[in-house]
Amino acid sequence: MAASRGRRLLWQGRCWFSQTESAVPPQPPDSLYPPIVASATAKSKAAKRRRLEHFHQRVHAAASIEEKLRLYGQLQRPKYMVYPQTFALNADRWYRSFTKTVFVPGLPPRAAPAAVKALGAVAPEAAKAPVLAAGVEPEAAEAPESGTAAPGAAKTPEPSAGAAPYLDMGELRSLACDALLQESFYQNKKRPFLYRDQEHTPGPFLTQLVSTLAAFLCGRNPLLAASSLDLKPEVHYYWHHGEEVVVHGHRKGRVDPVRFQIDDKPHLQIRVPKQLPEIVPLESDLGDVPVIDHKPSKLPLFKKQYENKVFIGSKIADPCCYGHTQFHLIPDKLKRERFIRANLEDQIEVTYRANGIASLFAWTAAQAMYQGFWNEADVTRPFVSQAVVTDGKYFAFFCYQLNTLALTVETIQNNPRKNICWGTDSKPLYDVVENGSVKGFNDEVLLQLVRFLLNRPKEL
Amino acid sequence: YPLFQLGGPQLRIFRPNFFMLAVRPGVPQPEDTVQFRVSMEMTKVDIKNYLEKIYNVPVAAVRTRIQYGANNKRNHKNQRVKKPDYKVAYVQLGQGQTFQFPNLFPEKEQDTETRSFDDFKNKYMEREKQRQKGDPRRGGVPDWFGL
Repeated sequence: MAASRGRRLLWQGRCWFSQTESAVPPQPPDSLYPPIVASATAKSKAAKRRRLEHFHQRVHAAASIEEKLRLYGQLQRPKYMVYPQTFALNADRWYRSFTKTVFVPGLPPRAAPAAVKALGAVAPEAAKAPVLAAGVEPEAAEAPESGTAAPGAAKTPEPSAGAAPYLDMGELRSLACDALLQESFYQNKKRPFLYRDQEHTPGPFLTQLVSTLAAFLCGRNPLLAASSLDLKPEVHYYWHHGEEVVVHGHRKGRVDPVRFQIDDKPHLQIRVPKQLPEIVPLESDLGDVPVIDHKPSKLPLFKKQYENKVFIGSKIADPCCYGHTQFHLIPDKLKRERFIRANLEDQIEVTYRANGIASLFAWTAAQAMYQGFWNEADVTRPFVSQAVVTDGKYFAFFCYQLNTLALTVETIQNNPRKNICWGTDSKPLYDVVENGSVKGFNDEVLLQLVRFLLNRPKEL
Repeated sequence: YPLFQLGGPQLRIFRPNFFMLAVRPGVPQPEDTVQFRVSMEMTKVDIKNYLEKIYNVPVAAVRTRIQYGANNKRNHKNQRVKKPDYKVAYVQLGQGQTFQFPNLFPEKEQDTETRSFDDFKNKYMEREKQRQKGDPRRGGVPDWFGL
């Protein structure tokens, strides 16, 4: 009786201060009565928190990854569609703030640089696995992102140089030039239709180049032999970041998370069964994430409501569930000439960077979700992928390390981790193609591409 | 306008009759965005050329929308009164320039005591109150009381 009277007083007290968290009264642990917690159906903040808890537990306890993804994207509401290839000005700064990404110019330093012999165009292959920052040798720090391809550069002693096979630059160059000439010179093609230039010549050239290079380098990189090359795959990812108040409608005045969706269609994609090694430790801090307190619609970014899809290019049961490299083709509306004609030269690099950051974030985050991580269960190991963004002539290389998926308002508060993206400026692969020959071929760009393809985990 | 066909004469407007009004944005805009109210017939290309040629302002991007003026108010005859429609243009400046709409009505500094209107008013009010109270030597007794 006394216990029930005491509990009734506590109940009345909670009615008056119903907004506070209900304190569990000091009862013996093996009591006959159920624990006193907030209601799950009331119109109160405590009840909302309890329903959210229920939802989190349901997702944590989901039987399979498909079930987890289904529950994660179950509730459909209007969301911002983020396009990796966008004409919006300064889009890369906005995208970095949406995805909590730090951009580091230049590519991460590798274990040992690819030193070139003074005679001929034969370069020994470098050990491809990038080492953690703690164990980087001093000579690795001087390797720039385009490689020390200058002949006569100091040859760094390679510990396993004797065993590593040589890379024949001449053969690789001839492969690339063959593909280029076949597509642009030898093959008789009609004039491209309006705004279809990119899928007329650079598209097929890129496909041909990547497939022949991947086939050629299979012997050196066993990971490529077990990989899967997708043509025009789709990559989707859905996430929440930040909060906003609903402006109009029957839900006016409520505080909602800001929802984003990326639907990307890279030109080519290589998926592998084993994950690429991490570049820097999980908790490293290499820069700052820009904070933009304006609404995303000012970018401009538009809202739509449709299926909340998470997809890496293949379904969950596929063994090649980790990403290796993506290849993106810049569309006709975002070509260099259009930007130059509109006096927007500085936005050319912005489009490459925005494409790299958004596409790679979507891909690595979707890979992490395929392994069962989500924003309440953050990743325990970093997910690494690479991308090459090109418009047929200019190539830009990007490397992305996903350290955190927790971007919602509650989970971002005590999360010091940031995602990191390394990227280069766009460099031309060749100057011009005329009379059946390629003028001004740039070996460094091809070498960087080959290094990207040869990237593999340390065990292999 | 007459529609432009390839090879036809280009329509050049030398002294345009358009007006552009820079307004304070209702919702906060990014630093490089300026908000204008423009004539309904202007296009994005028109706005870009107008600002670049007449005012030498580098324009990176223009987005426009038409704001519908409401038709709900009623006059004394119960007829609906329409507020006029207008076009709003959001112009993003080029070359990294930024723009912040200025504060057109800043708080003015208080002048010296003798010249401010508020002090005159206060002094007048005090004087009026004193007159209403009457002679302090009579100790609060009204002036009609007595012989």
